[in-house]
Amino acid sequence: MTRVQNEGGPPHDWLLQAVDIEDSCRSLSVGGLASDLGMLVSGSSNVQPVFGRLIEFARRKQGLTIERLAERADIDLEAIVEIETQDRVVPEVRTVYQLAQVLKLPPGRLMEVAGLATPKPEVSRAALRFAARSEPTNQLSRDEREALEEFVKVLAESSDGV
Amino acid sequence: MSSETIRIQRRSDGVDIEATLLDGMAPQDFVVVGNEWAAERSMVMQELLKSAVPRNQWPQSLHWDWRRKAPELTLLEASGFGVICERQWQGVMLTKTASYTARLDLDKGKPLVYIDFLEVAPWNWIIPEIDRAGRFRALGSVLFWRAVKQSEEEGFRGRVGLHALPQAEPFYEKACGMTSLGRDVAKQDLLYMELSGQQAAKLLKKGKTQ
Repeated sequence: MTRVQNEGGPPHDWLLQAVDIEDSCRSLSVGGLASDLGMLVSGSSNVQPVFGRLIEFARRKQGLTIERLAERADIDLEAIVEIETQDRVVPEVRTVYQLAQVLKLPPGRLMEVAGLATPKPEVSRAALRFAARSEPTNQLSRDEREALEEFVKVLAESSDGV
Repeated sequence: MSSETIRIQRRSDGVDIEATLLDGMAPQDFVVVGNEWAAERSMVMQELLKSAVPRNQWPQSLHWDWRRKAPELTLLEASGFGVICERQWQGVMLTKTASYTARLDLDKGKPLVYIDFLEVAPWNWIIPEIDRAGRFRALGSVLFWRAVKQSEEEGFRGRVGLHALPQAEPFYEKACGMTSLGRDVAKQDLLYMELSGQQAAKLLKKGKTQ
């Protein structure tokens, strides 16, 4: 039993009830956008789920291991594994920017693909085409390479330099 | 800044020990919280990975960083509350008084205290899969009650609003008696919940909220 005995503490009977329910919850946390959590889903974007695959393909195209990419981009290894393996992870802005630098992708458009900014219609369409044509494998197939190049081309063309 | 002495239970021996509930945390306090909790978060994550606990069972605030919230405390409408025990921050809350108004029909448009962020220290989390039983109890309840009290002090009749993380929804609904007003697209589908003035009066005076 937990008591808060002071001049203005919570009512004892309420606290007794509340604490038992509190103990049964995995978390009591309030607030924070999913992007702050890095692990909650956003249901509002159909672009963001392809972000992980885009990063994976761009990395493989450059012949980088995940470890090497993490090192070059100065990002935690765990963050990249999470991005590549978990659908709908919303990464931090810095992470996306660093990945864009190393993988030579337009940062502004990559933010859209990552779900951190509202995507332009052409980016949404290109992302859907990319998702439809790509499947994760060890080696990029010719078709996947073409899909990746086409997607990156749209990102570059629609980029306004950010 | 003001503070009051409370007593919270230490789980290891069931003893109620003295703690301080502080009102008026400074931005640098959030930096300290961020620093103190970061190492423990990392340990929790490593244990979860090692034990192959499915990601949907991980504490959903595992990645938070209170240092990033420090600038928020410079806002006039923002207040920081925290519980200190054994010289460590055991739970922290950031509230705002101007960003949101009540959405419940009966109180629509009236001011309320919005809990922007609330979290208890990672060493107080209960995670049976990795044998973590939590060090202290009742911190979430105490902080929520403090928000209701702040609302009363502000003349908001105890009205409180918040967006709960999915794992925390049962606590705010069942223990705190809040009303769920649906998922909020503007907050990436987190559930918005509100405590009316009437519900707050029950909580503050009679204890039970339903």
